[in-house]
Amino acid sequence: MSVITGHKGIGGQVRGTALVASDNFSTRYDLDLDRGVFSRRAHKLFGESYVGRVLVLNAAKGGVASAWMLREMVINEKAPLALLLNDANPVMAQGAAFAELPFMHRFETDITQAIRTGDTVLVDPQAGRVTVEPAS
Amino acid sequence: MRLTEVEAAMEAGALGKGAAWAIAYQKRVGEFFEAEDFAEIRFAHMITDAETLGASGLAFLEEMAAMPAEDRRLRTLAIVDSRGFDDRAFERLLPGTPLVGDTQRAIDALGRMGAMKAHGYFNNHSIPLPAFGESCAFSGTPTVVYANSMVGVRSNFEAGPSAIAAMLTGRVPRYGFHLDANRRGTDYFKLEGTPKNTADWGAVGAIVGRHLASYWKVPVIDGVAERPDAISLNHLALCLASYGSHAMFHVVGVTPEARDAQDAFGGPPPEPTVVTQADIDAFHREYEGDGEQLDVVAFGAPQLTMPEVYTVAETLAGRRVHENTTLLVYTPLEIKEACHRAGIAQQIEDAGGMLVHGPDFFATFAKEIRAAQGWTRLMTQSVKTANITEGYGYVPVAAPLEDCIESAVAGRIVRTA
Repeated sequence: MSVITGHKGIGGQVRGTALVASDNFSTRYDLDLDRGVFSRRAHKLFGESYVGRVLVLNAAKGGVASAWMLREMVINEKAPLALLLNDANPVMAQGAAFAELPFMHRFETDITQAIRTGDTVLVDPQAGRVTVEPAS
Repeated sequence: MRLTEVEAAMEAGALGKGAAWAIAYQKRVGEFFEAEDFAEIRFAHMITDAETLGASGLAFLEEMAAMPAEDRRLRTLAIVDSRGFDDRAFERLLPGTPLVGDTQRAIDALGRMGAMKAHGYFNNHSIPLPAFGESCAFSGTPTVVYANSMVGVRSNFEAGPSAIAAMLTGRVPRYGFHLDANRRGTDYFKLEGTPKNTADWGAVGAIVGRHLASYWKVPVIDGVAERPDAISLNHLALCLASYGSHAMFHVVGVTPEARDAQDAFGGPPPEPTVVTQADIDAFHREYEGDGEQLDVVAFGAPQLTMPEVYTVAETLAGRRVHENTTLLVYTPLEIKEACHRAGIAQQIEDAGGMLVHGPDFFATFAKEIRAAQGWTRLMTQSVKTANITEGYGYVPVAAPLEDCIESAVAGRIVRTA
């Protein structure tokens, strides 16, 4: 078990299974919001379901759409459980705050290398802490 | 975050439910980015469309608009983009397709809350500018990058709910580009070569934007031999936002917070990356097609200013647009009307061109229009238009406005230089 500290985030504590890639993230260009899977062929998580997972990626990209879409995803039960990024931008933070989706960024280490897909992760945004239980 | 008396009253719910929601929401974002306090804003501007709102976004707006007046009172000048559609143009471009609907419902909901429904963008020079150093809340990324860099106004990208929250509180969390430290240059670029037109300036924005690609990075461009005008800089700005997510840049000796390189960086500049004329030419060669048949010329992104509409009319000089080519001139409604009053619009229409108001070409059914009209080859003065329409299946070329007109007359892609 390891503990990674990051900047104080948005939302409450959750525990779930990680889905990880070193790619960047846009809700508009990367996801099929109806099916809840990554739909952009060039994305490393192409075809993977992100619903209910702790999604771990590098940086937020894209325009203003994410600010509305994260809440729509939460309401439609097609949202990740939490989102962890190395680098957030204002639009992604504005979207997470609107959706009240647990969201953290700026970790002491490259978060996409510190967590592997399948690990169990306890995300505590208010404490600025992520606890990782590696999949055996 | 430190709260003033009025902000604390908002948080406590004493100023209505809307403000209470908004200030709590803004605090979450502000604390995420270590904002210490709020910055009061001059005004907030929001652009909205049904696709990005989604059903829940629309429901959120309509529920807020249905609250008692005291619960949804706005605390700043609030403007929501309400340009409508150019029915006459769309009768020809996309016959039989309903154009309004959920987008208009969203605009009307904000209108009921007290937002001014207008179609002015100050970066289109159709409404007055805020002054240097003032904070604002803008949702349109081209407006943010223009305001920060060229006017010295202070704004982050304030997307949908964030712009509404700013309307309700009259302020924004003070992080990002509201703070002096974040407005300074981070990366240094030296121009060798002189961009000659809007397409060249767009190419410079695309090259730098692709290179840095981060909201938090502020490119500083030096070595400009000829002082570019506001239109050229607007093309640079649009492409920095479109290709690199940038919200601010400096051009040394031109933009107000970069009297010299030292001023732009707040200290000695780092080693520069050189952008040569060959880099600009290589960028343009990504889009070729000289001599090929031309289906459509689309001027927009940014929509044309009145002087540019004059240039279109003067370059046409009484000639007719080729029968196989469509010439579309996107411009704000006020400018279109002013051009009608000035007699310039008639000159363009007599030549077979169309002045189109409303949302820009790339943002308004460009994909569906292509299918309906059977178009492929597109020419534009805007690199941003070329970038986006390529994703819609067009084969675009970005070129100087004069070349686009000559090509529209010839019915095929021609170059004058």
